[in-house]
Amino acid sequence: MGLDSLVALGPQPAEPEASRSIGRRIIGRAARSGGFRIGLAILAVLALAAALYPDLSGIDPNKMDVRARLLPPLFGGAQWSLGHPLGTDQIGRDMLVRCLIGLRYSFLIGVASVALTLAIGCTLGMVAGYFGGRTDTVVMRITDAQLSIPMIILAIAVLGVSRPTIPAIILVLGLSNWPVYARVMRSVVMAERGREYVRAAQVSGASHARIVVRLLAPLLVPPLLFASVLDIARMMIFESTLGFLGLGVQPPTPTFGNVIADGRKYLLNAWWIATMPGLFLGLTLTGINLIGASCERARNAIHGGA
Amino acid sequence: MFVLSFLARRLAQGAVIISLVSLLIFTLLRVVPGDPVRLMVGGMAPDSLVEQIAAEMGLRDPILVQFGRYAAHVVRGDLGHSFVRPANGAATGGANFDDTTRGERAAVADLIRDALPMTLQLAALALVFALAFSALVGIAAGLRPGGVADKVAFAVSSIFISLPNFWLAIVLALLFSVKLGWLPAIGYGGFSYTILPALVLAVELSPVLIRTLSGAVAAQMSESYVTVGRIRGLSETRIVAAHVLRNAAVPMLNLLGVQFSGLLGGVIIVEYILDYPGLGLLTINAVLQRDFPLIQGIAIVTSAIFVVINIVVDLAATIIDPRLEY
Repeated sequence: MGLDSLVALGPQPAEPEASRSIGRRIIGRAARSGGFRIGLAILAVLALAAALYPDLSGIDPNKMDVRARLLPPLFGGAQWSLGHPLGTDQIGRDMLVRCLIGLRYSFLIGVASVALTLAIGCTLGMVAGYFGGRTDTVVMRITDAQLSIPMIILAIAVLGVSRPTIPAIILVLGLSNWPVYARVMRSVVMAERGREYVRAAQVSGASHARIVVRLLAPLLVPPLLFASVLDIARMMIFESTLGFLGLGVQPPTPTFGNVIADGRKYLLNAWWIATMPGLFLGLTLTGINLIGASCERARNAIHGGA
Repeated sequence: MFVLSFLARRLAQGAVIISLVSLLIFTLLRVVPGDPVRLMVGGMAPDSLVEQIAAEMGLRDPILVQFGRYAAHVVRGDLGHSFVRPANGAATGGANFDDTTRGERAAVADLIRDALPMTLQLAALALVFALAFSALVGIAAGLRPGGVADKVAFAVSSIFISLPNFWLAIVLALLFSVKLGWLPAIGYGGFSYTILPALVLAVELSPVLIRTLSGAVAAQMSESYVTVGRIRGLSETRIVAAHVLRNAAVPMLNLLGVQFSGLLGGVIIVEYILDYPGLGLLTINAVLQRDFPLIQGIAIVTSAIFVVINIVVDLAATIIDPRLEY
């Protein structure tokens, strides 16, 4: 008998499910699904590797080694070596270290831009939904207009001329996706606005800012966080696309996008330079997407059942 | 009658959206640094000449004045001329300001008219691939939630959504045209050149379609009309094909309307990598060359397509499900 079942035999609170917050219930339910666990395992391994391997191995991602150039990955050809598990590129830089450094930047930019998106989208959506009327119309028309422009055009237009530094990239990516959140937030706030507790707060003289920040935000933002996990993956793809076009983090800093763009020139005699970073990125994103999709399923199940 | 008032209302809304989009793009292009005149006249031209040409073209006027002038032309059907592309289709780079071989500039409308059918062909084929595949996987998954097909669909859509399209385009080109030699990949020389980019786009489109379709089918299968159908003795095939799918098609249609701008983003990347001469390639080159009139023209055309597609989607949805209101 494990520890869990012993605990379960002890005295229990009257309604364990209902007394927990919705956020905790969603996480608990998602954590029981296989997809979530696989995704978490993939992500944990990759995160650990990205955090530790570049420093532990002591390999400089930009150090050239002409004698060890164009080495194939493990079991991939005649002269693979254990020192370079994913092979080396055209000037002998280790692909594994370059992929892991790329992963750091990709993840940093993905998380930061989603945080920015959430901040803008939630704020505008709550303001539009809470005040309604003309404010609502203006915000929603801007939202519609932005939704009908492919963001990649704007991103290319902006980053093509201003120097693509990391803050600039985060800003562009963060500004690209807020309309979706603004719409969702607006609709839930509109539904919540007429409820008794909001009216009670209004009658007892709470300011609008206080109602929005203290009452509505803590209740309505957490469910959106689960949906935003999937957006981290989308932003990471977007970041690598920009890098591929030469508009992302600039070389010599390795990112998935610029390494793949670089490797494309050597596709015929060294297929691994372009394909390995993509596999790496794909694996990372699969991890994030499995977690995100499980969270979303759990959220739908709980909201559907509640 | 209802259809007419619906159309009038939606077209009016669409016109508002299109003008907002063009104003947004117009302002943004002029606020962001990077002088198109410098690119037009070449690096060797003196600053005074840059200023002179810019003033002649009206690029130093207030933005709203410029926009008013531009809008007046657009309303008359004139999208203007490209800043950098010659009408004869020659290469654009490296020409000097006093180069006598610089010919007449190409009309934006002509450039778009040439590129748009190519992209529509690509988008249509991608949609066919994506719909066929997601119907196969999604319906099977929706019929038995939690079953093997559902797990497969979950895994497939999680993996597909994680593949960056530019990487997939490279890998598929390496696999299908270099290693296996089945499909041509680069450029355009006949219909077969459309297949590879369409496959890449289909992989990008299908995850969302699979999830929506399996969710919609699963939701419809628990409706009471399905049980009634079984009691009436209808075959399971008939229930699914004639009743469930018809109801599940409505959320799919709405999704397709929303997916359009995502599809366009994918088209830009895929066309750029595989050198497919469509609207995406035109767009990315226009943006990189700071070709203001061309970017604005493309933005207007794409947002118009976006508006029209969403109107068509809503009309089609009411034909499939007459209970929906306009």
